[in-house]
Amino acid sequence: MNTFPGKVENSWEGVGAYFTWAGSTGMLVLFTLVTAAICVGIIIAAANHESETDKNTQ
Amino acid sequence: MTTEELALFVLGQQKVAVEAYYWWCTALMVIIHVGFLMYEVGATRMPNAVSSGVKNLLAFAFMIPTFWLFGWWIYWAFPGGFIPIMDAGLDLPGYGLPWHELSAPHLEDQETGVFWAAFTLFACTTASIFSGSVIERIRISAFTFLAVILGSVVWILGAAWGWHAGGWLVTKFGFHDAAAAGCVHTIAGLFAFGVLLNLGPRVGKYNEDGTMNELEGHSLVLSFVGLLTLIVGFFGFLGGCLIWPGVAVYDTASMVGVAGWTNIYGAPATLSSFVFNTLMGLSGGMIGAFWWSKGNPFWMMSGGLAGIFICAGGLDIWYPGFAFILGVVAGCVIIPANNWLHNTFKIDDCVGAVAIHGVCGILGMLAVGLFAAGYPSGEGIPASNLTGQIIGIFTMALLGFVPGYAISAIMKAGGWLRVPDHVQKAGIDKAELGLQAYHN
Repeated sequence: MNTFPGKVENSWEGVGAYFTWAGSTGMLVLFTLVTAAICVGIIIAAANHESETDKNTQ
Repeated sequence: MTTEELALFVLGQQKVAVEAYYWWCTALMVIIHVGFLMYEVGATRMPNAVSSGVKNLLAFAFMIPTFWLFGWWIYWAFPGGFIPIMDAGLDLPGYGLPWHELSAPHLEDQETGVFWAAFTLFACTTASIFSGSVIERIRISAFTFLAVILGSVVWILGAAWGWHAGGWLVTKFGFHDAAAAGCVHTIAGLFAFGVLLNLGPRVGKYNEDGTMNELEGHSLVLSFVGLLTLIVGFFGFLGGCLIWPGVAVYDTASMVGVAGWTNIYGAPATLSSFVFNTLMGLSGGMIGAFWWSKGNPFWMMSGGLAGIFICAGGLDIWYPGFAFILGVVAGCVIIPANNWLHNTFKIDDCVGAVAIHGVCGILGMLAVGLFAAGYPSGEGIPASNLTGQIIGIFTMALLGFVPGYAISAIMKAGGWLRVPDHVQKAGIDKAELGLQAYHN
């Protein structure tokens, strides 16, 4: 997928933000939410593993 | 070369120099975490050494995305208190939010990325301060959650209030804290204290009659080499507390024609002032703690750190001889303060973080009010004064302690804070990670 934000083909003219999906707020919010979900999910997974360890160690 | 071309060239060099400076400050700050890792693992008993290291690394790993998600925005949105301003005071609506175009690669913004990175490493450092105090009995997942609260919410809120040219503590009360004694060290130390009250001590730390046992770490050498490594990294931290000429506001045009460094409040400062007082405070702390501890290298190196932290509030303005004396005071204070905290509250602060960071951070802010009142600050900011420093001390102490205590109390009630005693006795490395630090 070509997400280059420039207006002129093969040129940096007029480019400010130059990251992938710079023109799509929806995609940026989506990646933000996925990042947050991964952080929360990993902490929950770690907590579940600790609870299992608690049971298995008794 | 025309005058316009020369100006363009100078501006280009300025922008690249800003990037390079904070890039390398950030890299140096990573060394703080090498030091924290060695320090904490060394202070841990052998059956828990790996889990202490994993916990420390997780603080680092989780701080980066969470500081990008909300930490950076909090700094710019909350200088006025609890009500956010949505343009960061820079006429940039949404600045700091993760989906803002300046929170990503941008050809017209060479500052946000490197400043975000430096602040992220400040956040990692703050979370790691708390990390050492709770080793060997906090659940890794619970620690990670609390570290995110401290590193990506609490300290940065304190920074917005007192370590920001527009912060209410600064603009209303003239609070002066050049190298973050309050928002980093005091908040981290008091947050740790709040958590320690709910977490309880390691199994075997206290006897039934209330007497205390020394649970010594498995490698004193690793700990004190780690502490010295930490000090190397703190040169990146302290260097990152200065603002490159002309970057006091988000306006690249202003980068040309500004004479020198400023502190975070926009007042003139120099790297030379920082290095005079960092080194003199460091040596004072080491010497003071060497004398008080009768040669214990763990406390000697902790004293060196405490010597830097007690000088941090006025790191830009102290006379180096006075910084040395402040350092000696820090080196002598941390051991009795640590003993008092243990005896009074029956906490188990495994590395003395509450005394080293919390107590010395408070003393550092107080010292500015007592001995450096009347110093002018940036434009529109009152001169430093004792009242402002005392208000800053109470604000930072409460901002650290209250969330640390309240959130950990809720977690304790929900059974999500402490490693059960039988798992502690089995050894956390083997029980949870299936690993051990050392083999025959």
